[in-house]
Amino acid sequence: MQLIKRTLLVCSWFGLVALLGCASKPPAAVPEQAIVGQVPADPPKNPVINAEGLKAEAKSIAVTDIYFKKEGKNLVFIEETRHKTNNNVTSTITPKTIEVDADKADASALTGGPNSSQLPVKFTNLADPQSTAPVITPVDPQSSSNSADSETQSSKKSGYESKMEYGELRYLANPIRGLLIKSGYKVVQAKSTVAMPNQGDEYFDIVKRIKAGDFGDANYVLYGVMTEVSVTDNVDDIPGTKSSSQQVAFEVTVDFHVVDTQTNQIVASFIASGEGKEVRIDGRDNNFKPSMAKLMKLASLDLAEDVRKNLAAQNFITNNPGSAGYERNLKRRLDDDASTLKVYK
Amino acid sequence: MKMHTKTIQLSSLVLFAGLLAACSGPQVRYGDAKAVETVNANYGSTDLQIIAEAMTRSLLQSKAISGSKDAPIVTLADVKNKTSEYIDTRVITDKIRTQLMKSGQVRFAVSVTEMQNQTDELKRQNQSGLYKNSTIAKTGNMQGAQYRIEGSIASIVKNTKDVKDVYYVFNLNLINNESGLLEWADEKEIRKTATR
Repeated sequence: MQLIKRTLLVCSWFGLVALLGCASKPPAAVPEQAIVGQVPADPPKNPVINAEGLKAEAKSIAVTDIYFKKEGKNLVFIEETRHKTNNNVTSTITPKTIEVDADKADASALTGGPNSSQLPVKFTNLADPQSTAPVITPVDPQSSSNSADSETQSSKKSGYESKMEYGELRYLANPIRGLLIKSGYKVVQAKSTVAMPNQGDEYFDIVKRIKAGDFGDANYVLYGVMTEVSVTDNVDDIPGTKSSSQQVAFEVTVDFHVVDTQTNQIVASFIASGEGKEVRIDGRDNNFKPSMAKLMKLASLDLAEDVRKNLAAQNFITNNPGSAGYERNLKRRLDDDASTLKVYK
Repeated sequence: MKMHTKTIQLSSLVLFAGLLAACSGPQVRYGDAKAVETVNANYGSTDLQIIAEAMTRSLLQSKAISGSKDAPIVTLADVKNKTSEYIDTRVITDKIRTQLMKSGQVRFAVSVTEMQNQTDELKRQNQSGLYKNSTIAKTGNMQGAQYRIEGSIASIVKNTKDVKDVYYVFNLNLINNESGLLEWADEKEIRKTATR
């Protein structure tokens, strides 16, 4: 009987120990499951954008439209006649302004080119103080009077006035915004800027715009200034054939900077270019006219691709953003406050 | 009279034999295309085969081809005929191209002589408006050749009353189109002597 009791006691002890052992046993480590169809992201390498930062929450970036500065020239011819009588001065100014493209002006009047004879005067730069200094012409006794009481002066100024036009191109930056969204950045809409009258290069002052809050809470601003746009149309023979090829190309080159809005540090800087090209065999013979809309689209896509390469080369984005960027953006959309959602019927 | 009869008989025999030969027609038989041809000392099929084989073997062993990770793209340029004979040099390069293609170590882009057909086809697909956009072979996507093959064939011919001596030398070069460097060159010499 006692033996049975002891046996029961021993069994209950063993049972208790076994139970304790099971309870304290750590759960088996479950290997991280690979999710089919998802690619692990490359770790970001840019020291400014650290891995933890991007992992915790996507950084936001504002992409401005592409700024441009276009130089125009007005050809100006001013004839001024001053008549001074005792203490009174009367002045008659007869300005004549002809608006021309800068390159046309350079190619014609300013350089004495082929069109110079069509323009009334020989032009000088009116921005140059020497050229605009009043010229006192010797008084012609027949055409003017010059007595002790009155004096007539006539001066003629001619030249060109440089005129700068500042603005933003609204259609080139969208593919760039798309690639940044794909890379996992939250893209913020930037406020557009309107050029003021007599606008100067301060139009490009991005720090001023950051301080003015034009980019909301964006961590970075990607802004580009157009360097050059060109459209070329060339025809070349194709060797070994009776055909020729007409190549119409629209090329755009943009100077880009990425600025950290907190520190104003430039974290990436490069020049990118995009080309839209259409090739037509025997196009010249058939009066081929290219579609500028198509060329523009091709150029903007090509520009975005060059931007991607440059940003990846400077470790601002990864060449392989993986699914992390996509997931973050999806999560952000799902987590949006329901009150902010609008249903349009 | 006897003499006259004999002449008639002989003539008839010759005529009969001639008729028999005419009725039997030309004798046609297939020969070995690779058999050595020694009809005369002029450039012939055996020369073509010797040159193509030697050049292909040498070219495939060149560093530019054998050391390349991917099969390089090559195009055929001119092989100049500097001999006094008419030689279709295109046949030589075509034969070399076929053998190189069979090796799988080289890819060929269309040569200048084939460009008319190529441009005509691209024009037809891209500019006629007849084809489905997704299936069109687009203009501007042709691949440029890394190398071109060009060369020359020259000969020295010497004749005496009884002997004709012909010496052929065939040169082939592989030129890098981008750098302009000569990556490989080889020659094949052939001497043929015909005696009477």
